[in-house]
Amino acid sequence: MSPLDYLLVALRVAFGAFVPLCFVAVLVWMERRGAAFFQDRAGPNRCNIFGFRAAGLIQNLSDAVKLVFKEDIVPGHIPHKFYFILAPVLVFVTALISFSVIPFADTLVLGENSYVMQAIPLDIGILWFLACAGFSVYGIILAGWSSHNKYGILGGLRAAAQVISYEIPMGLALVSLLVVYGTVNLNEIARFQGQLLFGMIPAWGVILQPLGVILFIVAAFAETNRTPFDLAEGESEIVAGYHVEYSSMKFALFFMGEYVAMFVSSAIIITLFFGGYQIPWLATETLVAYAKPVALVLLVLLPVANYFFTGWIRRNNTSHYYRPNDPRVREANIYIRCFWILTGIVEIILLGLLLADTAPETIRIFVALLQMATFLLKTVAMCFVYVWVRWTLPRFRYDQLQKLGWQTMLPLSLVNIFVTSAVVVALS
Amino acid sequence: MLSQWLFYGFATLAVVGALGLILSRHPMNGAMCFVITLISQAGLYALLSASLLFALQLIVYAGAIMSLILFIIMFLNIQPADLPQETGRWGFLIGGSLAVVPIGLLLLKIVRSLPAGETTIIGNGFGHVKSVGLVLFRDWLLPFEIVSILLLVALVGAIVLAGKKETIQ
Amino acid sequence: MMSAKIKTIERQGVSYDQRLFLIEVFKGMRVTFGHFFRNLLDNSKLYVRHYPEVKPEITPRWRGRHRLTTHEDGTVKCVACFMCQTNCPSHCISITAGERNDGRSEKLPVRFDIDLLECIYCGYCVEACPMDAIRMDTGIFSVVTADRQSVVMGLDKLLATPGAFTEEDYKKRGL
Repeated sequence: MSPLDYLLVALRVAFGAFVPLCFVAVLVWMERRGAAFFQDRAGPNRCNIFGFRAAGLIQNLSDAVKLVFKEDIVPGHIPHKFYFILAPVLVFVTALISFSVIPFADTLVLGENSYVMQAIPLDIGILWFLACAGFSVYGIILAGWSSHNKYGILGGLRAAAQVISYEIPMGLALVSLLVVYGTVNLNEIARFQGQLLFGMIPAWGVILQPLGVILFIVAAFAETNRTPFDLAEGESEIVAGYHVEYSSMKFALFFMGEYVAMFVSSAIIITLFFGGYQIPWLATETLVAYAKPVALVLLVLLPVANYFFTGWIRRNNTSHYYRPNDPRVREANIYIRCFWILTGIVEIILLGLLLADTAPETIRIFVALLQMATFLLKTVAMCFVYVWVRWTLPRFRYDQLQKLGWQTMLPLSLVNIFVTSAVVVALS
Repeated sequence: MLSQWLFYGFATLAVVGALGLILSRHPMNGAMCFVITLISQAGLYALLSASLLFALQLIVYAGAIMSLILFIIMFLNIQPADLPQETGRWGFLIGGSLAVVPIGLLLLKIVRSLPAGETTIIGNGFGHVKSVGLVLFRDWLLPFEIVSILLLVALVGAIVLAGKKETIQ
Repeated sequence: MMSAKIKTIERQGVSYDQRLFLIEVFKGMRVTFGHFFRNLLDNSKLYVRHYPEVKPEITPRWRGRHRLTTHEDGTVKCVACFMCQTNCPSHCISITAGERNDGRSEKLPVRFDIDLLECIYCGYCVEACPMDAIRMDTGIFSVVTADRQSVVMGLDKLLATPGAFTEEDYKKRGL
């Protein structure tokens, strides 16, 4: 193995491990500010370091510091302390490793070598995700059971029953999808979605499998225990469900696990149904061929976008009451300067790409970076849908939840399989 | 070389998990030990490059079935007082293992008489989803369907048994 | 006899498109997204008061921290009749009476303590007072301290706090 191989392995693993972790902070922030804006509130906007509030991101930092330094309590009434400590670890780790098979860019071809852009180069793809989703139930069951607490057990029971019963429609929705794609490998699935239908529409899963999308997204919401399926932690009835007894970093692991799971299932939804890392109408080879025009378009669009973005910052990052010498305006000016500097750096890089005589490897790396950015953008948009749904829909009642799973989604997904298979057989 | 060490690791873990299943007193410990066995079996499958079997072992056995068993253990909420008093448990264990020794020796002999085989991957795409699916639905279609009907019968039977109480009263 | 006004509310969730859930879900999501988008574009439209900087407007009817009123010559109006202390449901007032020599009445309070941690701000003391000596019109609604002792308001503190409203506004509060 050459040094380049090692470097790429390190980069891929780092992407697979750190991106979900970093996005925990982004998602928590998005959840809070999003929730506030959905409800016409302001959300966390006071926490600051030297007056820099970073749009409320500093609040996450202070919460993290609080959780790290809180006393870590293992209640004395718990007989099985090992499982009590194991449970949050399981929840977090299974959520994190299920990200490792998701491709975040097309296979990178550098000279003769090609590198699969996912953290673990497994070709069982979606099956790995299902396996990890199955394992996350252990964490919940063990947490609920080992807490030795009524609410904990009730929450654990609810969560486990829900996850187990929604795995079935999820798996069946996947079956019809796999019939369409003819592969379980996520990279091949994403590459399939780079094609065009009738020469104009991107062949995304959402167009090929409209029913499958709805079934899968609903099942994914249930799998991640998010509203409207979050009755495992229904705070009005069972306090907080399976993490009643947890404190400090063990609670933080549950909390982070939830957001990592949300990020990962968004990434899976994106990869299966919304083209993964594909930029619509620009499949990898097209993108490689037209890299310079794309760079030129970016070169022009980026300052324009930044102009509007900084204008938005200037309008919104002020105190909306009389305040002499408003420090928020000063803060906004610094942000705006930072964003212009960032834009300038990216512009210089793009200009270099345009003017210099570039090797095919450089173009490939540029395309891979573009695809990574697309992937992250799409995933964050899907995460926003999670937040959006959470602050729109009320919680299900438990029997309604099971009824929806078994009496509506299971037959629908079976019908979907039959129809899809019939169409695929008829067309081939 | 690495795969050999991995094999030893997984094999040891599988045996330790199986022993834990038999020896541990609390059902939750037993179930968790069994999960370890199932996962290390999945690891063994992966070493044999049977990737579909590896995934199915994780999804079906370790993921679904064992989590249902854990679920039921949680439902029953077994306290230490509910567990049976196992007096003379070690005597039974030693006696039982002594009784199994001849069979073990026989097995060892069989294993030793096996011809030394090279472990190489058979063909391209061995153990992948496509090849296993082709074999399953082309060569073994009838047994596959019979097994699925067997499972269906078991499922229907379970539902009938579960629903019977209401019809009696 | 007046006939009761009957309004029949159409029952939701029975028609087929409502039972399908998804359409209604998307309708609801459109509503929430409208709020989100409006606030994202211009966060001055948030329905919030930027509290510690922008204080809420207090009306004369609002029951804030207590104060003791005085006559024009600065002497305390309270005659230590113990009406407020007797009436207080949370027993937060404790008065010690003393002899009064200025000719206005026979007694005056030498100690008048209100424990604000006990007080439930019900205003019964104000209603019970025959002399209009205790009022809750200071407009102070935030009582925060680090120790328990400093929330016990003594006679001097109660007398020192001015009212937040003019006499006419206070009279017009309509109780």
